[in-house]
Amino acid sequence: MNRHLTEKELIEYQFKLVSDSRAKKAAEHLEECSLCREHLQQLNRKLTSLDLLREKITVSNEWLAKVAEQAGWPTQARTLFFRKYAWISAVAAVFVMGVLLLLVDNLSERTAKKPEFAKETHSLLAPNGARRDSGQESRGVTGDIKLEEKAKVPAAEALDKSAAETKAFAFAFPEEKAGVGGGLKRAGGRAITEGEIPEQPPFAPASAIELVTLPRRENVQLTIYNSADLTLVRERRNLTLKKGWNWLQFMWANTLIDPTSLVLEPLEQKDKVRIEQLVFPARLRELGRWLIRSEISGQVPFEITYFTSGLAWRAFYMGTLAKDEKTMRLEGYVRVDNNSGDDYENAQTRVIVGKVHLLDQIADLAKRQYAYGSPVPPGGRSAGEDISYALAAVSQDGRNVLFVDGTFNGARWVMLAEPKEIKKEGLSEYFLYTIEGTETIPDKWGKRLLSFEVNDILVKSLYKYDEERWGTETIRFVAFTNDEKHNLGQTPIPNGDVKIYSQADDLGYLSYVGGTGIKYIPVNEEIELNLGPARLVTVEPRLMDFKTENYLFDSKGNISGWDEVQTWQIEVTNTRILPIEIEITRGFGTAYWQMKFDQKDISFEKYDVTHARFKLNLEPRSKRTYEYTVRTYHGEREQALTEITRKGITK
Amino acid sequence: MDNTDRNLIDAHCQGSKTAFTELVCRYGEGLFGYLIRMSGNRDQAEDLVQETFKRVHEKAHTFRGTQLKNWLFTIATRVAIDSLRKRKHIRLVSLNQQADCSDEACEQLETLAVADNSREPSQEVVLTEQKEQVRQAIESLPARQRATLVLAYYQELSYREVAEVLGCSIGTVKAQMSRALRTLSRRLPDLSGDIK
Repeated sequence: MNRHLTEKELIEYQFKLVSDSRAKKAAEHLEECSLCREHLQQLNRKLTSLDLLREKITVSNEWLAKVAEQAGWPTQARTLFFRKYAWISAVAAVFVMGVLLLLVDNLSERTAKKPEFAKETHSLLAPNGARRDSGQESRGVTGDIKLEEKAKVPAAEALDKSAAETKAFAFAFPEEKAGVGGGLKRAGGRAITEGEIPEQPPFAPASAIELVTLPRRENVQLTIYNSADLTLVRERRNLTLKKGWNWLQFMWANTLIDPTSLVLEPLEQKDKVRIEQLVFPARLRELGRWLIRSEISGQVPFEITYFTSGLAWRAFYMGTLAKDEKTMRLEGYVRVDNNSGDDYENAQTRVIVGKVHLLDQIADLAKRQYAYGSPVPPGGRSAGEDISYALAAVSQDGRNVLFVDGTFNGARWVMLAEPKEIKKEGLSEYFLYTIEGTETIPDKWGKRLLSFEVNDILVKSLYKYDEERWGTETIRFVAFTNDEKHNLGQTPIPNGDVKIYSQADDLGYLSYVGGTGIKYIPVNEEIELNLGPARLVTVEPRLMDFKTENYLFDSKGNISGWDEVQTWQIEVTNTRILPIEIEITRGFGTAYWQMKFDQKDISFEKYDVTHARFKLNLEPRSKRTYEYTVRTYHGEREQALTEITRKGITK
Repeated sequence: MDNTDRNLIDAHCQGSKTAFTELVCRYGEGLFGYLIRMSGNRDQAEDLVQETFKRVHEKAHTFRGTQLKNWLFTIATRVAIDSLRKRKHIRLVSLNQQADCSDEACEQLETLAVADNSREPSQEVVLTEQKEQVRQAIESLPARQRATLVLAYYQELSYREVAEVLGCSIGTVKAQMSRALRTLSRRLPDLSGDIK
């Protein structure tokens, strides 16, 4: 063989994949060719790595026994019969289905008679919806069917409308005590006339079969308290009441609603409609039922108020500087995220800036098995006694916030309502923002809403240099005041992130200048936005001279005081095409210092006890250099400065 | 044919639970080793062994061959290839990917590695990575080539036995083996100077 062996041939030779004659030829070639031997060794080294996975894999006897047990017996052989005789199985299945159909048909004939009885009973209903049962015997199965019939009309409409709602409301007719025929009913052993409401409220319905779904929301208002993961929901629904006792069911499954905060209130006919109680039926989790006593029949608007968590908001802003950087357009946005488990359609959204005092986390309350703790608390003490928190509500005019310190005790709320003014200090500092219009915020969605948009805000572009704070970089600031002069000042500005852009050209293209986070800006307060290092404005301090003098010595001849004199040259360069104003702060590390500075066009001030500050303006694309000399006093020489200062003051 | 194997099958067909348990004990470990190299995943290998013996249990009466072991490997191969086909669109592993410590990878490494306390921790890490590379290289082979390689190289079946298991000719087995080794020679790590 004259040519070298290919990789394929080498592998086939090594793993005995070729005939003996070819293997022999390959062996002969390898004996003569060192290159091919080298190639084979390389291949061997690579393929030897296969041995890394050659370790013995062991399994336990228990596992093998388990495999034998699980693989073995459950399906043994019986499947063979059906597979072999599949047609027999098919015939048998058809036969069974036929028998079942016959049975079902027979049953439906029997049950078809029941609606006639139900219809008959249904006809006993009074026009206003009150029921006149002929006797206690009619309850049970018959009673259920009758009530279902009754519930059909309103329920069907409502179900169509609110099928998509996660949280369900339901409205129930009470299970009244058996009445006496001929327009008379009996309650608590006393005969009462038709139209009279029994004094004793009915027992809470045990099943939901009597409940009809509540109409969808007329409107909803969200007030989001960010600091406490708390949202006050106020929704309006029109309920159709019948005269007498009515049950309303509220379910909060899969939501973060705090059941202890549920409040139901009629908006009209308040003297004729009374909310009696809210019960949490045993064994039915995540639902509550209100008992409503109504002296009228018909539609009544109600407001349902509750707290939920899972809604959050955050503010952010976009500022666009004009080309001359003297004015800015500011757009404020609020992003609302809904993870509450409920959809809020066409909701008026309001956000609260500030802190809310809250003892219990709403999310924890929402996840409780029982709304107010176990129905049978240990030691017979009401679990609700422990629940106390601040309840917030918003007034009808939409501008004022009421804080209600609520304590639940047994079945009643004790509320102490006290309207509070907007404070800017302390724990109760808060402010209410109302976002114009209404927005739909589905569950798990976030939505960006425009909160304000202001043009031509006068701003001051300022550069600052302070080695102790920002090192050797010059930092750019944009400053403005939240007041009417700056087209702002209507409301405080909530904390959030600000991004500043500047107009790059006349076509409206923007360039990013910088961004920062801002804290709550009260009205009439100035804000400086730190936009980060500025590359086009530089400050270079240079130490030009240094000497020490005026040494003092103690009685032992040791140095007890001296002066240091430093001369600094500061070079400021502006390579921008706009004039700039810059503030340079210099620190001396001691409170005992004196400055010699005689540049009249640069303002100089003692900023604090250890710092001096220079302010200067620079033309576009210009450089400016100035010098100052500072003398610092050390040791006993500090007394000398004190003396000099005192004499200066005396003169 | 091993008479004992035949007897076990017959006894199982007659309803002996012990016979089937004995079969599982006799061949379970070997099949597990084969299937873990085929699937590269311990959990999946366990399921595949389960499925293999389930099929053995159901089809025991159809066994007419001479080598029970080969028949078991045939079933196991079908089960493994079916499974690989099902999950093919789910899991794609790059050969350049370094051994990560995802749960699955760690588990696989735990399965395939035998603890050797004589090595330094750094050597242990290198070895672990190499094993992972080998595993990934094998996993990258087409199912038939992988089955051929695992049966011939790791299970040490002769090419004739592999041909019987896979239901093809010896020539086909050799061709598959040759292709598999050539692919691996490009993808396997070079162990020169490394620990083994």
